[in-house]
Amino acid sequence: MKTSRFFSILLVLCMVFCIAAAGGSAFAADDQIIIGLISPNTGALAAYGTGIVTGADLAVEEINAAGGILGRQVQLIKTDDQSDPTECLNAFNSLVAKGVGLIIGSATSGCTSAITDAANEEEVCILSPTATADSITTEDDFIFRACYADSFQGAIAAAYAKQAGFDKVGVVYCAADVYSKGLFDSFSKACAEYGIELAAEQSSASLDVQDYTNQFTAMVNAGVEFVYAPYYYDVIGPYVVPQARAAGYSGIIMGADGYDTTPDYVVAGADLTAFNDVYWTNHYDPSDTSEKVSSFVQAYEAKYGSIPSAFGATGYDCVYMYKQAIEAAGSEDSVAVRDALADRSAVYECVTGTFSLDESGTPLKGAAIISFQSDGSTVTSKLVDVVTQLP
Amino acid sequence: MNTFFQTLIVGLRLGSIYALVALGYTMVYGIIRLINFAHGDFIMVGGYTMIFVIPVVLRLGLPAWAAVLAAIVVCALVGMGTELVAYRPVRKKGTNMTALITAIAMSLFLENLAQAIPAIGPNPKVASQIFKAGGIHIGTVTMEYTTIITLVISAVVMIVLFTFTQKTRLGRAMRCVSEDKAAATLMGINVNSTILLTFGIGSGLAAVAALMYMAQYPKVYTTMGALLGLKAFVSAVLGGIGIIPGAVLGGIVIGLVESFTTAYISSSMADTFVFLILIIVLILKPAGIMGKNIGEKV
Repeated sequence: MKTSRFFSILLVLCMVFCIAAAGGSAFAADDQIIIGLISPNTGALAAYGTGIVTGADLAVEEINAAGGILGRQVQLIKTDDQSDPTECLNAFNSLVAKGVGLIIGSATSGCTSAITDAANEEEVCILSPTATADSITTEDDFIFRACYADSFQGAIAAAYAKQAGFDKVGVVYCAADVYSKGLFDSFSKACAEYGIELAAEQSSASLDVQDYTNQFTAMVNAGVEFVYAPYYYDVIGPYVVPQARAAGYSGIIMGADGYDTTPDYVVAGADLTAFNDVYWTNHYDPSDTSEKVSSFVQAYEAKYGSIPSAFGATGYDCVYMYKQAIEAAGSEDSVAVRDALADRSAVYECVTGTFSLDESGTPLKGAAIISFQSDGSTVTSKLVDVVTQLP
Repeated sequence: MNTFFQTLIVGLRLGSIYALVALGYTMVYGIIRLINFAHGDFIMVGGYTMIFVIPVVLRLGLPAWAAVLAAIVVCALVGMGTELVAYRPVRKKGTNMTALITAIAMSLFLENLAQAIPAIGPNPKVASQIFKAGGIHIGTVTMEYTTIITLVISAVVMIVLFTFTQKTRLGRAMRCVSEDKAAATLMGINVNSTILLTFGIGSGLAAVAALMYMAQYPKVYTTMGALLGLKAFVSAVLGGIGIIPGAVLGGIVIGLVESFTTAYISSSMADTFVFLILIIVLILKPAGIMGKNIGEKV
């Protein structure tokens, strides 16, 4: 009795595997170009994942409607890294196991840095929409990105401080986060170059810290009127800005692309005038009137009913960069595409700017400086300036 | 001097939250000797309940904090449900260790379950303003009303709980269960329903803690209970776990240590010092600040 039950279970398992195997082969026979996508679709930074996925979906839809790449349809395989580096590597491995050679991802530098070595080893192309840490891309590798690097982003903030006439600034950053620490490093380096004094320097132990009052009290005591605070939106909206104002700090708070989508994460009913005098650098500005940007924003709004964040824009750009590289290479073979992406003469006309890639695989392009404005009950963004070159 | 006061106030603000959360830990531990690691996640449950109920409450013309009543009910039900579904069957069959592992499993289960519910999802949510902004000015620093309310609530909860366990029949039943389950049964105490009540009260407290947490740190996310729960647990152990006033003392000490480390030593070392203090206290006084060393029961 027992043995026959064991065999029947075994038989059922065999059947299940047969079906699964059949499904797998049918999938591979399809003549589609597969692009893998790794993004934080759940977890603390899910807003980034949502942006990238919606942007990439829109691009794939447009490309397929226009006849695909090299006459073949494009399919995205989406995976989730929960903004956790370990999960990111798992997602990468699962894509490689499916035979995917072209990957878009991931959103944060922390996650992307977890897969760069594996990608070079497996000869799989990685094109990150928004991993800005300098260390992500190096020469002669399979890693590229659609965004500028932090050394540029941090330096722009320093240049802005200089231009606005501040010769004494402070910094509050997270010592345990690659992105925040990287921006702090590039900002402080640029400050030294521009002759700006770094009068106060405070940090937080993790991104889970809820109280920044003491850090900003130190800023007030140091008498600075410009503080660089490279954090993400979920810390800036509910914690950093209101607490800084409550601690008596009334000067400028400046950040980077992590501030994108902050207006969706502010406390309703609180005094939102705290968000005046908050500036940040971003990859693009949705109110830009150029043909490329406005047609993208219109198409995105028609499909999703909202204004695309910079993550939507760079996710969209990544798909088109792959399209151009695949067409230049004549196939979707990952080594051929890598060589096409490494060609420094290729010019990409994207939503986030027209650019070519430098020797490491990072775009040479400008940044938008954006400020928040508030009448007390809502927070809106306003373009201040577009910087293409450092002074 | 201003910096000192500011740091003190931040410490009290953090400490009052830890104290309120630690009360829930200590309450459950005191009765059934179970470290309920899911307690931090009950706070998350309370937080999300309020996120959904606050708009309704505001539409009815009531103040936002009235949403805590719904949260207390939901949290108490979740807490008692957890006891019925997970802890009680495990306690019957297993040892203290299996119960502890179940508590950790329960914590992860609640975090992931919350993420899977579409209305909650993985995105953090930001609460609206709960109490009126403003506070008492001391020099140039402000002690917010929210901080004062949290401290007062912690003190009231502490006194009520202490009186309840010392003076009422139900409280006496709880203490009996904590001392000797078998003897309590012989004395005619329904052990199971006493434990269930303990979970109901402990989890209801989590909802109150969630309200005060959200009033000061208005971000709610599915893993919010993890680090908060851990620090509150440390507070409870520091004060002497199972001792109700000890939880409040421990919470405030941890909050002050965290704040003063940030301001005067190194802002990125706050957590390091919190756990360092824990180790030092436990070496010097293993039963916690207010704990008494009692010999092993034979």
